[in-house]
Amino acid sequence: MKNSIKIFRKEIKEIIKNRSIWLPILAVSLMFSVIFPAILVFSLDSIVKDPDTANFIAKIFQNVGNVELAMLDFMIKQFMIFLLLIPAMLPSLIAPAAIVLEKESNTLEPLLATPIRTGELLFGKTLTSMVPSFAISLIDFILITAVVDTIGYTKFKIIPLPTWEWFVVTFVLSPAISFIITMISIIISSKSTDIRSAQGIGAVVIFPIYAVIGMQIGGLFLINVKFILITCAVLLAICPLVLRMAVKIFDRENILTKWKMK
Amino acid sequence: MIYAENLTKRFNNITAVDNISFNINEGQIFGFLGPNGAGKTTTVRILSTLIKPTAGKVIIDGRDIKSNGDYIRSILGILTETPGMYEKISAYENLDYFSGFYSIGENRRKQNIEKFLKMFELWERRNDPVKSYSKGMKQKLALARALIHEPKILFLDEPTAGLDPESAFMVRNFIEDLKNDTKTTVFLCTHNLEEASSLSDIVCIIKGKIISISTLEELQNNKKGKRVEVIIKNGPDKFMPIFSEFKEIIHSEAAGNKINLTLENPETINPVIIKKLTDAGAEIVYFNEIKASLEEIYLDLIKN
Repeated sequence: MKNSIKIFRKEIKEIIKNRSIWLPILAVSLMFSVIFPAILVFSLDSIVKDPDTANFIAKIFQNVGNVELAMLDFMIKQFMIFLLLIPAMLPSLIAPAAIVLEKESNTLEPLLATPIRTGELLFGKTLTSMVPSFAISLIDFILITAVVDTIGYTKFKIIPLPTWEWFVVTFVLSPAISFIITMISIIISSKSTDIRSAQGIGAVVIFPIYAVIGMQIGGLFLINVKFILITCAVLLAICPLVLRMAVKIFDRENILTKWKMK
Repeated sequence: MIYAENLTKRFNNITAVDNISFNINEGQIFGFLGPNGAGKTTTVRILSTLIKPTAGKVIIDGRDIKSNGDYIRSILGILTETPGMYEKISAYENLDYFSGFYSIGENRRKQNIEKFLKMFELWERRNDPVKSYSKGMKQKLALARALIHEPKILFLDEPTAGLDPESAFMVRNFIEDLKNDTKTTVFLCTHNLEEASSLSDIVCIIKGKIISISTLEELQNNKKGKRVEVIIKNGPDKFMPIFSEFKEIIHSEAAGNKINLTLENPETINPVIIKKLTDAGAEIVYFNEIKASLEEIYLDLIKN
């Protein structure tokens, strides 16, 4: 554990120095947790006055009492699904570089020659990817809650967030997604020969998250408690499998001998 | 300290290391020489438990490497052929990071970081990111990293490559001091034969298999065809036929006043040659047996 923390601390320091990693995430975060919710919730009454939107709401929410509140509930579900983007995006930017960057900078061999164990190394790399992702998700959760509640209270005298769904998404679903994407990215990183190919393949890993977001925006389904619980159960079951796979695939000998030093 | 027996490593159909055996005592410097692709790096990787041997046995510090990887890695330091450092962080942070993986106290760790950074003249630049360092500075930092936990065994792969002559001299002196002061066992892979001959207690020449393993003196003594240099004041040409009388003389060649002879059994034949030459009226200014350099021996062995 001590060695994993050591790796985590060093890598976080490097990430903080690398603006190209955290600036896009910060921009996306601000967009989805402050700007979009503020604009949408603030302009809710004018949105529902649009005849097409009113027609759309009538189709989705039958027998709805207050159209504005029903629309607010719909939007909150949309924000929630965007909250899944961050734990998927950040690991897909950080984790693919985890091993391949060590290979490229010729630091992997001296690192593996220390008494560090494979599990400790992978856990340290996983923390590097998961901790910032969880921290940003948490900040986003707080920001969206603050923005939505402030405007919600000002306009409708209600405090819509947080809900239990949001807690489960933030504290179970997001970390699970983050963990799985990190593990898959580390597997890819172990097998890759250069950072570009690792990040290219890594970007594909988050495609299912985009697909879920796209399906919800397209109206194919709407995120609900049942969906969240089933997804949580499936992802939590997958977590130990990908961990085992990552440790098995991380073969010191293969990584060192199949990698041509620069 | 390091005992290897019938060590073999195969990668698919290629045998990188073929049934090699050696024994290195504590505090010895083991010069490991061979052309590119001879199996030097593979051997170092096996000994440092980074890869597993296909066959054979290795005992390091009394423990089998197969089941004591963590312990073995805790007592060795390694300078790889292409040593990489984390370029975005400082030299101090690099050493702090790597030394943190070993069981040494916090105070000693900090003392060692300071000691080695000062020793390799990097202390003034300790807080600069490594990417701003020259190649030689990075090489010195990598050496400091290998030494930071005071290892019992040090694997050095081309330790002076990329260093300016002054730094290379300093590193060589340092390796000698290590042997004398700390009893550190040094496994030295090098192409620099001068370095190997000046530092090594044992010289091992490998090309997949071990071609030769002995002390430099033994290598020199075992070399076929010793060289003798003779300088004759009154011109060498008229004395050249004398050398054809000796079956022990393999080759003779004159250049100016100097004659170079390649011969067998110099201990017995040299006095006879001197007598024959003086009897024939040669004014001998200089007669000396020249020890073969490691380079000559190495090239000879590798070629054959």
